[in-house]
Amino acid sequence: MAYGNFTLETVRKTFRLETDEAADISSDIESVAPSTELSKILARNVPVAIGINTEKAKSEMIVANVLLELREQFERRISVFSGIDFNVDAESGLTGVCDFLISLSPTQFHLETPVIILVEAKKDDPTNGLGQCVAEMIAAQRFNKEKGNNLPCIYGATTTGTMWQFLKLEGINLHIDNAVYSIGQCDKILGILGSMVEQKA
Amino acid sequence: MSYSSFTLDRVKTEFQLEIAMPTNLFCDIAPVAPSAHLTKELERNVPVALAIGTEKARSEMIVGDVLLELREHFDRRISLFSGIDFSVDVEKGLTGMCDFLVSLSPVLFVLEAPIIVLVEAKKDDLLEGLGQCVAEMIAAQQFNAERENSIPYIYGVSTTGADWRFLKLGGQQLHIDTEFYSIHGCDKILGILSSMVEQKA
Repeated sequence: MAYGNFTLETVRKTFRLETDEAADISSDIESVAPSTELSKILARNVPVAIGINTEKAKSEMIVANVLLELREQFERRISVFSGIDFNVDAESGLTGVCDFLISLSPTQFHLETPVIILVEAKKDDPTNGLGQCVAEMIAAQRFNKEKGNNLPCIYGATTTGTMWQFLKLEGINLHIDNAVYSIGQCDKILGILGSMVEQKA
Repeated sequence: MSYSSFTLDRVKTEFQLEIAMPTNLFCDIAPVAPSAHLTKELERNVPVALAIGTEKARSEMIVGDVLLELREHFDRRISLFSGIDFSVDVEKGLTGMCDFLVSLSPVLFVLEAPIIVLVEAKKDDLLEGLGQCVAEMIAAQQFNAERENSIPYIYGVSTTGADWRFLKLGGQQLHIDTEFYSIHGCDKILGILSSMVEQKA
């Protein structure tokens, strides 16, 4: 058992989550303009990533750049991890590699609490990543708690690079956003991610 | 059986390669200055990628950016692939995913011959990637020949993002460069990659 084995259904049953499948997490959040650097990177990369059409290309050419920009916006006071092992509870199946993970600690050399956003990349459809992302969010909740650094909410994003969907976990209450954003609305995506870091989303 | 199961010794024996006298293959190649854009990207990304340390982070924050710059350097007349399935000959074990691959065709949506550079990313050890990279280079030779688009040399790169080592395959003769190059000398790395694309290396 690992994060990748969870579907939305199994993760809900296993961890007895209350789910709002049409929540409004993001509509009121203000956009944040991307830097000219990021706009340039995306203008160059998005067509290539769509052409190649692998999860790897979409992760490295789109998702990583958006998350690195987020780190810059917070003046590197947050950390971004990519492809690290995040083994929290083997018995509950909360083990495996996380595509991307953001912590409020500035340390980049190892993962420190509190973990705030879990990002799961998928090749074709962001909804395919929901179960896995939620399992990682539950693991982050436990990880933070074990280290005595609890946050009221943990956030999640599932993305194909071109399409982004957001999640929020508050205790056992899971909110799945009713909107899906396109990378063309990169300012809105940055606004949402920023408000998650600020724990205002 | 797939590319990753080949060691250098095994690939040499199975494909009857002759390993050429060790030389400093690319010492005379002129550097190509990175764009201001790439310089900025690397300044921001290299410390993060090396701190995270995973193959994924190194690939998406360093290697991918260098190869995208190479494509710009050739005015997008070449194509770059990332994480595609490159299965050429199941019987010989020439199957599996390629980390990165450069073709002289400008088409992005499907892989077309001639393939010119194969790039294998590794977390720690450049030597570890050599056998796998050579197996992919042999597959590229066969792929090009089957499409009647053979070129005299196929090139290879084994990289941790931080360090880069280059290979050259002409027929059954394999050249392994004695030198390795650091990402801090990114101009030399771009120079070598460019001369490979121009088939002058």
